[in-house]
Amino acid sequence: MMAASIPIEGSAPRLGFLPRAFLLLGRLVLGGVFIFAAYAKLHFDGQWHLHDYYFFFAMSIDSYHLLPLWAVELAARVLPWFEMLLGLMLVLGLWLRWAAAVTSALIAVFCFAIVRAYLLHLEISCGCFGNNERLTGWTIVRDGCFLALSLAVTWLAFIAHRRAARRS
Amino acid sequence: MKARALIAGLLLGVAIVSAMAVPGRTRPAPGGASPSAAQARITPASVTYAKSLGSSSAPVRIEVFSDYQCPQCRSFYLNTLRPVIDNYVSTGKVYLIHHDFPLSMHAYSRDAARWATAAAVVGDFETVDQALYANQDKWEANGQIEPVVAAVLSPAEMKKVKSLFTQDAPELDAVVETDYNLGRAKNIDSTPSIFVTAHGETHELPPGGVSYPLMKQYLDYLLEQH
Repeated sequence: MMAASIPIEGSAPRLGFLPRAFLLLGRLVLGGVFIFAAYAKLHFDGQWHLHDYYFFFAMSIDSYHLLPLWAVELAARVLPWFEMLLGLMLVLGLWLRWAAAVTSALIAVFCFAIVRAYLLHLEISCGCFGNNERLTGWTIVRDGCFLALSLAVTWLAFIAHRRAARRS
Repeated sequence: MKARALIAGLLLGVAIVSAMAVPGRTRPAPGGASPSAAQARITPASVTYAKSLGSSSAPVRIEVFSDYQCPQCRSFYLNTLRPVIDNYVSTGKVYLIHHDFPLSMHAYSRDAARWATAAAVVGDFETVDQALYANQDKWEANGQIEPVVAAVLSPAEMKKVKSLFTQDAPELDAVVETDYNLGRAKNIDSTPSIFVTAHGETHELPPGGVSYPLMKQYLDYLLEQH
């Protein structure tokens, strides 16, 4: 009875097949989405914009009227590369718990920004996948799904890690 | 021979007098504007030129598709385009082209575009353009655009503009429609839509307008490359 309710050290079961498959698929999808999001900010109008991507993305971020200019400039310069890094970490499964947690936090911030902009009727670019992607109700639904997926991946990643730690 | 010459002279005289007496479009309009001459000038190409500011050989070209009744266009014009005009267009660095893109949701934006186009034909585009945006809150409620235009033009200029607005409405509409179709061809569905061309490349800026500090940074970057 005790063993059933309080797992003895070393006896914690691995995640089942379905949760493991979901975790794998979820992190691949999320990683792919983040890598694509970074790519779309650096490559548009048929060419790479490694030297001037920042101007276009800064304009997208600024149109939300959320951040001061210095923060807009910083986010515009850093975010695409940070998204690329997170995407690669998710795809490769590196520091998965933390990568997934940071991804969830980032998507939550994005969701807050787009819901606010939508409620304020700002006719702006979402800035999520390129600079001229208009923000609509569909954007909120899509990013909401990404947030749900990211939270699930984060939760499963933490559980998988805890169980692995107990077994070892 | 004398009689023939007399008859011929009489006929010629009658012809000249009747030509001078023909009312309407062939006569010079009050204030010096000739509607027929104006009509001849009202072509999409000539009006686009008249609605442009700066030197066409400037290294950077900005094309703005705008709706006079759209609040974001007003904000973009007053907060971004005015400083751009003062600092970049007037110094020959930027060529600014205005295109009308009146949205169907705005009851008076097409009328405003027609007034601006009439002013452009007469050579007063910048003054009227600025007045329409600056006083948007005055005319958007009731469509009373004429007093706003009259307030910034001399009586003689206003006479010319009004004459064009009333007598050449179809031609003005055709010009506005040409601008609108150009925007549709570029997949525009909202205003302001901004296209920047430099070094042979054209990029559309993100929708919703751009603040002046960021526009300045981008223009300085493009000019540095030049």
